[in-house]
Amino acid sequence: MFSFELLFEAVVFGLLVGCFYAAISLGLSIAFGLLDVPHIAHAAFLVLAAYMTFLLGSYGLDPLVAAVLIVIPFFFFGVLVYRFYYEAFEKRGADAGVRGIAFFFGIAFLVQVFLSMKFGLDQRTVSAPYIGRSLELGDMRIPWRLIVVLCVAIALTVGLKLYLSKTFQGRAIRAVAQDAWALRIVGANPVLTKQWAFGIATAAAAIGGALLIIVSPVEPSLDRVYIGRTFCVVVLAGLGSMSGTLVAGLILGVIESLVLTMFGASWAPAVAYGLLLLVLAIRPQGLFRQ
Amino acid sequence: MAVKITVQELHAGYGAVQVLHGISIEVRDGETLALLGTNGNGKSTLMKCLIGDVRPNLGQITLEIDGVRLDLAQLSTNQIVDFGISIVPEGRRLFPQLTVEENLQLGAYRKAARAKISENLDYCYDAFSILKEKRHQPAGSMSGGQQQMLAIARALMSSPRILLVDEPSVGLAPIMVSQAIAKIGELKERFGLTVVMAEQNFQEAMRIADRGYVLVHGEIALAAETAAELKNSDLIQQLYLGT
Ligand SMILES: Nc1ncnc2c1ncn2[C@@H]1O[C@H](COP(=O)(O)OP(=O)(O)OP(=O)(O)O)[C@@H](O)[C@H]1O
Ligand SMILES: [Mg+2]
Repeated sequence: MFSFELLFEAVVFGLLVGCFYAAISLGLSIAFGLLDVPHIAHAAFLVLAAYMTFLLGSYGLDPLVAAVLIVIPFFFFGVLVYRFYYEAFEKRGADAGVRGIAFFFGIAFLVQVFLSMKFGLDQRTVSAPYIGRSLELGDMRIPWRLIVVLCVAIALTVGLKLYLSKTFQGRAIRAVAQDAWALRIVGANPVLTKQWAFGIATAAAAIGGALLIIVSPVEPSLDRVYIGRTFCVVVLAGLGSMSGTLVAGLILGVIESLVLTMFGASWAPAVAYGLLLLVLAIRPQGLFRQ
Repeated sequence: MAVKITVQELHAGYGAVQVLHGISIEVRDGETLALLGTNGNGKSTLMKCLIGDVRPNLGQITLEIDGVRLDLAQLSTNQIVDFGISIVPEGRRLFPQLTVEENLQLGAYRKAARAKISENLDYCYDAFSILKEKRHQPAGSMSGGQQQMLAIARALMSSPRILLVDEPSVGLAPIMVSQAIAKIGELKERFGLTVVMAEQNFQEAMRIADRGYVLVHGEIALAAETAAELKNSDLIQQLYLGT
């Protein structure tokens, strides 16, 4: 029953889906991994961005073009959300953690309610030349949309990695959670640094959201499907590593795909949570913590 | 092209705890000034006032730089750094998970320093060969002495006019203390810096200091114009030399 072909196909699909998981986790890798913000609304932001892509798509825009257009508004949206979080919670210190989680839970809920009221509960899709067609490689058919996702995921990972390691602002973002005071004495403002970084994390979520609706139909409550997966990827990667996030996404994708092939679809969603718990128990610093 | 800091009747502390009670000091262009005093007498608090980390309750801190007068008590830390003051803080405060090189690059964050980053980096690697050797290692993996060198080099990367150094000797073996102090003296000459150094280790500090103040219980107990004057004072004899 387990032919070599079947296994091979499962791994290939796992890698492609893994690229998708990585792409939608990069924003969280910055927000939670680098900034220590308990951003459980990340998956809701992905869904919000997917709907914005849908909205622009209804005017005939290609989802990838739409992704580029929503990046800037999402950046400013992220800046505002962080500013509010900072003023209301982080600035007061102490138990910001738990109350911060409640804050982001509330935001996720609001996004979901907003989407339900505005767009209804029906599933929404977009169309593009690469959606619905496949590339035939021998016996395998690889959907073009997954190839598009692969390219975007790699470009986004490389882009963020270069930004975070080669620019002054990027290095400051990586330093801010390690020692905010020390950042001050090199002449940077830690609050503005985090605010900017959260904007970038949200802009990355905008691109992730466009990929989300390219990959599958969306509905307002879809964030539930991705919250566990994105946190699993970020924790597995080791908080805050971009290339680690890509590799962790691939690992989750392949394991999920193998489980799906061997045990059936109903087990697949449990993989992310299982892996998350396993990592936290065995290697809480993740695989690629610097 | 001169710098000068004037502190007048400075009162400062932490909430209800008053630490500094009316400090008046002067930092003159091109000198190495020692702030001496034993544990808990307010040296670091004074340093933190200079860098904008502790706000004075009373008194003034004025920076004159190239003919411009600035009230440091009104500026934030990053603004003060932008005006060319840089600190090697107590406890070093490196970014432990970033590499040595990334720590140095972050030192050059302020706009005026970015233009000189490669020149300054070359100089730091030249002056501290151990940093060059370990440039791709996480800063947190180095020994205490090496980390102190990195903290000094990072402060230098911001191309400061005034360098504040808070107890470079803490936690270092005696040989490393001498090295660190000697390096500070060397860098001062090389870059024409003005240096303010807080130090408990009187003997080491006086190897490079031109003059000094002694802080006792948050007040200036002695202001000495020369190293010799300090050394011969009754206070120093009593505090450090056990007589
Ligand atoms: N963050 C703080 N909150 C409250 N009190 C503080 C704080 N930092 C320092 N103090 C107190 O202020 C006083 C002066 O401390 P400061 O650090 O300025 O002394 P110091 O001369 O630098 O001493 P050391 O040689 O130990 O570094 C001490 O009594 C200390 O307990
Ligand atoms: Mg001190």
